[in-house]
Amino acid sequence: MAREKTRIRNEIRALRFHHGEMTQQELADRIGVSRQTVVAIEQAKYSPTLELAFRIAQVFERPLQEVFWMEEE
Amino acid sequence: MGMSFEERSVWVQAVAMLIVLGGYFVIAGVMMSRGVGVLAAYVPLFIGAVVLMVAVLVVGHVAAALLSRDRRADERDRLIGWRAEASSSWLVGAGVIVGIGCMVAGMNDVWVAHLLLGSMFLSETLKYALQIVYYRRGV
Repeated sequence: MAREKTRIRNEIRALRFHHGEMTQQELADRIGVSRQTVVAIEQAKYSPTLELAFRIAQVFERPLQEVFWMEEE
Repeated sequence: MGMSFEERSVWVQAVAMLIVLGGYFVIAGVMMSRGVGVLAAYVPLFIGAVVLMVAVLVVGHVAAALLSRDRRADERDRLIGWRAEASSSWLVGAGVIVGIGCMVAGMNDVWVAHLLLGSMFLSETLKYALQIVYYRRGV
């Protein structure tokens, strides 16, 4: 049986806004990636590894499932 | 979305490869069409191309570094590199197999050498093209 195509969506943009309007560069510096990678994650053009996803959730002090979720296309 | 240092680096390598090695193949092609059949005759041209390529890469990477705030490769850069490599490296393998076949068939060394070099050129060009697509479209 063929699996549905899925995409990892996220709430990073809103969470940045609620954390003192944190910039993409500030978040990138805290999680150790380039700003362009943060942009790609926000736009769902790149699904981060589990380790990076946990680091992002840690920055916003939220459980992983409140930051990322899976969406069928 | 602006470009990271790694993406700029891919562009620099792609442009250097296309202009310098592309130029080499144009000149070598003219030489081959005029019947230059001794491999040693191509060596100075090849060395010149390698030296020019190194110079273009150094200048290009210095410029890319000056334009980039962060020069570390992260997990996305590594994934893009691996995927592009996995989809392009078969061209070198195919070139080697065809090259061995040509040697067995007694083809001139000049053609065999350029077949091998050409397969490497095509493989790298495809790799850079795929990396650029993955950076722009997502991976």
